[in-house]
Amino acid sequence: MDAQALKDNFAQVAQHGDAVALFFYSDLFLRNPGLREMFPIGMSHQRDRLLSALGRVVAQVDNLPEVVPFVRQLGADHRKFGVEALHYPEVGQSLIATLRYFSGAAWSDALARDWGDAYTLLANVMVEAADEDAKQRPAWWNAQIVAHERRRFDLAVLRVVTDRPLPYLPGQSVAVEVPVRPRMWRYYSMANAPRHDNTLDFHVRLVDGGPVSPVLVRSAGAGDWLKLGSPVGTMTFNERSGRDVLLIGGSTGLAPLKAILERIARSPAPPRVHLFFGARTADGLYDLADLTKRAADSPWLTVVPAVSEGGADGAEQAEQGVLADVVARYGLWRDHDAYVCGSPAMVDATVERLVGLGLGMDRIRSDKFADA
Amino acid sequence: MNSPDISGAQRLTPAELQAVNFRRAPLGRRGFDEDQVRAFLGQVEQELVRVLNEKAAMQHEVGRLRDRITGNPQGFSPVQAEDAHIQAVRILSKAQETADHYVADAQRYSREIAEEARRGRDEILAEAKARAVLVLDEAHRQASTAAEQVKPSSEPLSEDERRNLESEIAYLRTFSDVYRTHLRSYLEALLRNVEEWDHSEHDSTPGARTPLPRPR
Repeated sequence: MDAQALKDNFAQVAQHGDAVALFFYSDLFLRNPGLREMFPIGMSHQRDRLLSALGRVVAQVDNLPEVVPFVRQLGADHRKFGVEALHYPEVGQSLIATLRYFSGAAWSDALARDWGDAYTLLANVMVEAADEDAKQRPAWWNAQIVAHERRRFDLAVLRVVTDRPLPYLPGQSVAVEVPVRPRMWRYYSMANAPRHDNTLDFHVRLVDGGPVSPVLVRSAGAGDWLKLGSPVGTMTFNERSGRDVLLIGGSTGLAPLKAILERIARSPAPPRVHLFFGARTADGLYDLADLTKRAADSPWLTVVPAVSEGGADGAEQAEQGVLADVVARYGLWRDHDAYVCGSPAMVDATVERLVGLGLGMDRIRSDKFADA
Repeated sequence: MNSPDISGAQRLTPAELQAVNFRRAPLGRRGFDEDQVRAFLGQVEQELVRVLNEKAAMQHEVGRLRDRITGNPQGFSPVQAEDAHIQAVRILSKAQETADHYVADAQRYSREIAEEARRGRDEILAEAKARAVLVLDEAHRQASTAAEQVKPSSEPLSEDERRNLESEIAYLRTFSDVYRTHLRSYLEALLRNVEEWDHSEHDSTPGARTPLPRPR
């Protein structure tokens, strides 16, 4: 297999941008109309992801140890979409047809053979990973909403019960699909440490113009069913460090931190924990009552609410300012493990500040929630 | 800015345009309007995609014609079948693009409406808050007037003073009742507004309750 030839050919084809993935999916659906229903109606997001995944794989096609874990993850993740082994040859056929079309005169039999070999190799890795994953867990979990509480006009706290145990680590999240928005999966963090009764809590904030969160906040209610994918995420609690803990959450970025907090509360000798919970205005501190109660019951826990805009009314006990500033004001955190979750801007600013305060990157774990 | 290198042999591609990230303007200095820059980049990207697509289609066409002139032994029918497939792919691609535009438009529209509604909500809340402050101020004023009248009562009250005070208290009670009623009806009107809003949203979402999906 001539890896360089594949890279050069892909670079040439990728010049055509979005048109490549557009051609690929049209070709795929024309040859296999049955596959269309596995995808959402709007496909622009899907096309972006296909191209970036392909680009990533091709860039490392001659460095298999680098690329295999990513491809395995792709294979396992695709189970929730209903992808099966028999779909892979169909995808391969359309991929080759697309590459040939955009290569024009540069296409050759040798390229066709090399692409075929490379694809077969990767497809086998994906199928194998999916099979192994299938031995350990279902393709998805069904979950029924048992409680739906609107904390603000654009914020809801949901409790669901899954149809079978869903093992996860505090700090992780799952992809969620609602029936009225088929094939639209959005990630939400579990806001509790695993429980024996298979219930999970989610904090959902409505994103203007978003397809999934408005449904979850405004129209979903007790009795509705959801589909949940496998747990993902690396902002998990470092059980072995023994250091004191700094939790920093902006808005619903609080959710995974609450799961970590519950996990800490269960340990026999909890470390000292500082939890900073920030929002733009006081009514954005939707879960402060519960946090205050936990702090009153736990001598090792200090909760600091912070409000970045909107005066002092209703938030007399809240600090004023963005979380990065408020956290810095409270002193040095050099001997702590920090966990940061919120909007991309909030996480970037906070992590940068913590590093500036002398906290090593290896002691900071963070998770950004998507804007859409 | 992660600027694309267009000086050398490297050509600017749509993918590169999409990956462009402008650095934030330094603190205290204004940069370009981000939306405008994004919109313009989007336009340029679309144009590039169109040009490149036309180029690919033409290359394909040239190849096909060349094959025909050189008397491709494959004959006509397979070529024609392939052409038909490519045509179908183009038609389907066009349809998908149209659908994507509709979805994007709908999302933008709903985002704009939501933003507008949010502004309206903020205004209503600010107004309600201002009214509540007025009511409170008035009540405080009345209360301090009453307190002043009570003050000299370190010595026992005469019958007249007692009657005056009682009628003052009665007046204050009525006053407080009236204001409470006013405030309540005002808040109820607000609540009705919100409920109507909720209902209209709810009606616009197709039946959220569906039967249990079956796992494979």
